[in-house]
Amino acid sequence: MLTMSEPATVPDPNAPASALEADLVRRARRGDLAAYDELVKRYQERIYATIYHMTGNHEDANDLAQESFIKAFAALKSFKGGSSFYTWLYRIAVNKTINFLKQRRNKHHLSLNDLDFNAEHDPDLVALISEKTPTRDVSLSELQKKLNEALLKLSEPHRMVVVLHDVQGVSHEEIAEIVGCNIGTVRSRLFYARQQLQGYLADYLKT
Amino acid sequence: MSEKNDNFDDLKHLLKLKRHEIPPPGYFNGFSSDVMARIRAGDTGRSESLLERLQEGSDFWGNLVHLLRVKPGIIGALATTACLFLLASVLMLDHSESDQADTLAMTAPPTPMITFTDTAADPAAATPTLALNPPDAGITVSTNPMSSLQPVSSMFGSSDNPLFQPVGYVPASQ
Repeated sequence: MLTMSEPATVPDPNAPASALEADLVRRARRGDLAAYDELVKRYQERIYATIYHMTGNHEDANDLAQESFIKAFAALKSFKGGSSFYTWLYRIAVNKTINFLKQRRNKHHLSLNDLDFNAEHDPDLVALISEKTPTRDVSLSELQKKLNEALLKLSEPHRMVVVLHDVQGVSHEEIAEIVGCNIGTVRSRLFYARQQLQGYLADYLKT
Repeated sequence: MSEKNDNFDDLKHLLKLKRHEIPPPGYFNGFSSDVMARIRAGDTGRSESLLERLQEGSDFWGNLVHLLRVKPGIIGALATTACLFLLASVLMLDHSESDQADTLAMTAPPTPMITFTDTAADPAAATPTLALNPPDAGITVSTNPMSSLQPVSSMFGSSDNPLFQPVGYVPASQ
């Protein structure tokens, strides 16, 4: 039986974020949809972005992100609290995405949206384009296309590690927990994936 | 393999480009409400495989499934081990059965299930008696066909037996 709200607990604004999250999780486990709505809002962008960088498609990312949150709510009872809710949620999203990509294999389609306005003003990217690339007239959109093509050439476990670490900024330890392997494996996958990417993008990375 | 020694700086900068691939503003305005609406409607997500359910069931099963997924060779190794184990079990069972049968055939002489007493020596006991094996002998099973053969005479007696009468046919008209 789902309930919409639980007025008994009022979150303390001075409480640390983890305590607030634990409270939200506890309430959501009891069927409090308002609490779960808060959790969805907290993580929707990060979960969405990870899935999007893996699939390269906004529609698939939207569907899979929604599925992940729905699945997580249904499975909240089995959440023991051994890891953080955020790690557990990521794990569900990662598994869903990898399963989806396996089913979609050989049906590659890439429909990337335009970059946001800030990309043209990112100092790192400006420097990269103006100084590092051999063809100085390379555009951001072309670079984006090549980058995504290179990423899609990686295996799913390798792409996942690069996306989580180099794009999303997730730590090695957290990735190990999310993906379910040890830190050494995360590091070696990251190294291998970067090597592969460097090879694929050699023309755009020459000094 | 340390990150400092490897020159991936350019690549890392290039990968930052991915951070700018974000949906347009307002994209997430209705996201959580869509999720909530689906939960209220009783949606539990699309049907999923047993593997997927196991993954979220517990850490142990999740790790196992993940391991099998990342290293599919393990599945082959496990399957090969299981097949070898099964084959070895069948061979051992077969071997032990034949050994047991040979041992029984060598140690236990064949004993007829039904014996007839010697009527010549004791006419009073001219009825067939069922001589069962002693209880401690148990049930003996042998795959050796020779060990279970009984002499014909032991089953029907000899011509001295009064119960043994030759069959003769005399036509009624004579």
